[in-house]
Amino acid sequence: MTATDLRVIAALGARSVKQTFRRPQLLAPIVVFPSILLAIQTAGAGRAVDLPGFPPVDNFLSFMLAGAMIQSTLLAGNSGGIALAVDIEMGFTDRLLAAPISRFAIVLGRLAGTAALAGLSAIWFIAVGLIFGASIQEGVPGALLMIFFVVLSGVAFGGIGASVALRTGSASVVQGLFPLVFVILFLSSAFFPDTLMLEPAASIAKYNPLSFIVEGIRDPVISSITWSVFGKAIGALALVGAIGIGLSALALRRRLRTGG
Amino acid sequence: MPAIEANELERTFEGGVQAVAGVDLEVADREIYAFLGPNGAGKTTMVRMLTTLLRPTGGSARVAGYDVVTEAASVRRAIGVALQEAALDPLMTGRELIRLQATLHGLARQEGHEKSDALLERVDLVDAADRQVGTYSGGMRRRLDLASALVHEPKVLFLDEPTTGLDPVSRRTIWEEVEQLNREGTTVFLTTQYLEEADQLANRVGIIDDGKLVAEDTPAQLKAQIGHPRLEIRLVEDVAERAREIVVRFGRPLPSKDGAVLVELEGGATGVAPVVRALDEAGLTVESLDLVEPTLDDVFLEKTGHHLEPEEPETGEVE
Amino acid sequence: MGWRADLESISALMRRAANELLRVPGAAIPGVLAPTIFFLGLTAVFGSLVDLTGFPTNSYQSWLIPISLLQGAGFTGAATGVNLARDIEQGWFDRLLVSPAPRPVILAGLVLSAALRSLIPATVLLAVGFAIGVHWPGVPGLLIAVLCVMCMGTIAACWGTALALRYRSQSAAPLMQAGMLLVILTTTAYAPLALLTGWLHTVARYNPVTQIVEAARQGFVGGVTWGDTWPGLLALAGLLALLAALALRGMRRTAV
Repeated sequence: MTATDLRVIAALGARSVKQTFRRPQLLAPIVVFPSILLAIQTAGAGRAVDLPGFPPVDNFLSFMLAGAMIQSTLLAGNSGGIALAVDIEMGFTDRLLAAPISRFAIVLGRLAGTAALAGLSAIWFIAVGLIFGASIQEGVPGALLMIFFVVLSGVAFGGIGASVALRTGSASVVQGLFPLVFVILFLSSAFFPDTLMLEPAASIAKYNPLSFIVEGIRDPVISSITWSVFGKAIGALALVGAIGIGLSALALRRRLRTGG
Repeated sequence: MPAIEANELERTFEGGVQAVAGVDLEVADREIYAFLGPNGAGKTTMVRMLTTLLRPTGGSARVAGYDVVTEAASVRRAIGVALQEAALDPLMTGRELIRLQATLHGLARQEGHEKSDALLERVDLVDAADRQVGTYSGGMRRRLDLASALVHEPKVLFLDEPTTGLDPVSRRTIWEEVEQLNREGTTVFLTTQYLEEADQLANRVGIIDDGKLVAEDTPAQLKAQIGHPRLEIRLVEDVAERAREIVVRFGRPLPSKDGAVLVELEGGATGVAPVVRALDEAGLTVESLDLVEPTLDDVFLEKTGHHLEPEEPETGEVE
Repeated sequence: MGWRADLESISALMRRAANELLRVPGAAIPGVLAPTIFFLGLTAVFGSLVDLTGFPTNSYQSWLIPISLLQGAGFTGAATGVNLARDIEQGWFDRLLVSPAPRPVILAGLVLSAALRSLIPATVLLAVGFAIGVHWPGVPGLLIAVLCVMCMGTIAACWGTALALRYRSQSAAPLMQAGMLLVILTTTAYAPLALLTGWLHTVARYNPVTQIVEAARQGFVGGVTWGDTWPGLLALAGLLALLAALALRGMRRTAV
């Protein structure tokens, strides 16, 4: 990886971010949709905090916020995958492949963009949360930690989205993964404590790496940082990240070998 | 050292389709070489192999002295590429795209910006530079594509069907630009399905059909191989017989067509003046005179047994 | 043209919509399965809410199923709008407008197929729902729920049609789907009115779709009464009239 490669990754990342802002359809799933769902679910199921066994929180919003953030990040990964597939379909990736840059810079550039968008969305949700009454127990360091986790999640989920895009080269296939995002979210503790969920979802949520990641983001909001929670979140992120980046690398290699 | 050389270059796709079936070619430094052939002949596959986007399944090739497989990175540094259907992102502005290309080629920020701005001016896109590419006409997109292929001053430029779908004015602009680039020292390898384009631009033309190179030479030589130009003379009065007697001194007479006297000029177009003078001296008034050259389509037809389609360039998008 | 010709036009349009479904069944699967996936997911996640005082049932799935049924109708109707937008983009719709068929007939042909197609995700949903313990609503309860579903499908199709005519592009699709989702979720979706907090309490109280939800919900969580039914029917009639008028107006505008 040369200095040029690093500059290329930054340039491609900047391009992804600009693209998303220039096309509202790409921005909506990342910001608008999760925000609306957050508002509705918080107000609709808000009395859940009265349930016996619910973790001690100021309000349901404080609990839900992490779920909305991870939902946004997952959708950002999906959007990034769609955008990469569109690049492949329109031949833009050829422009990159014909240039003297490392092959993997193409993927990393896309991931840089997704990570940046995830970071921006994290800031959005923290702001929205604070405005509407959530409070972050761990204060500013807590907020920074949340952003840190969200950005890493962006890389990890972006990797998975990118691998599907590279493997299939089809935007509509990547788009078809949209419902899958929600399945994974439902089978985790994103929206509700897994101890209070119904079986068999509760058991799946207990071991779902996404639950660990969400709890890592949620921890600084509803309590003080617990190192075991932090550790599990990092571990889950490392796992998903490794899978995402690994699959992308394999998919890229396969695409280059069978030729465009 | 040749700018491009290929040795039995071959590409077979999964499913057994042999897009390129063993092509040998050599393009000299500073030459303009055109690959002429119909759709599906293998032109694009050939370009993709030479530009390292596709691995050959047989044979070898070198571009700017580097092997396209083992020294791909070096090849990429030396070439500029403008592919079919201009792979431009409609959401980016022209300036953003060409600057990205500069970054891709490792140009430092300042240098990249300067070169980009200069090229935008060269292809007359300064006014549109900050608009999104999605708003550009076909001609503008091609010019942008061409400009971004030049940002790192490549030694060899690959153009895949550079004027397909463009209106005549845009086409001419691209041609002028390519000729200018060549004068400045760039080797140009282009593919085209338009006879006129190959005829006008290329130093040498390679005719490709069904993955094979069936003929290769300068346009003039290719046409000369097929036949000589013929003169179609229409006279004012019904003096065809007398005209024929005179004209036979200068070339081989051909059967008349629609009352015109036809003669094949073995010496080429230079034979026209003597014929006209002779007719004039004999007091015969010529109504019209047509010099019909064999075309590359005649060459194509002879070599492959079928016409090159389309024969006429389509009038493409107009601004 | 007589009423017989009108009926034929309507049925021809309906058959065309059915054709699309049959020719590309794969495309319909997300629309058919999505409501069921959300139903299962939301039940699993929020199921414990039933333990709160104020819920008329101890089965969250029985509480939730009308929402998912209406969501299925909403998506189906939105899909009608998306297909129309595509037809407009490709110029096929102009041919329809140029024909002598009266505008209300064209609209009927477009949207009535949605009423029938809404039954597909609804059937899947009910089958899955009963399998995971949704209470049997009784025949009247079921009939009312089905009526609500079909009418909602038609309403959603009018909404999608109106948007398609306004924007003439498939990029309006997310708006069609999101609009339906929003209007169905800002009701007593997650919990009874008394348990909703803040702004949602107010919105749900005045949202006509809440009445439709409650009407469809009756059988699943208790007994069917006329008192719980007529507000829903009124809401359905009102929304249908409103959105059909909107769609027709859109069609008249394009007839220039």
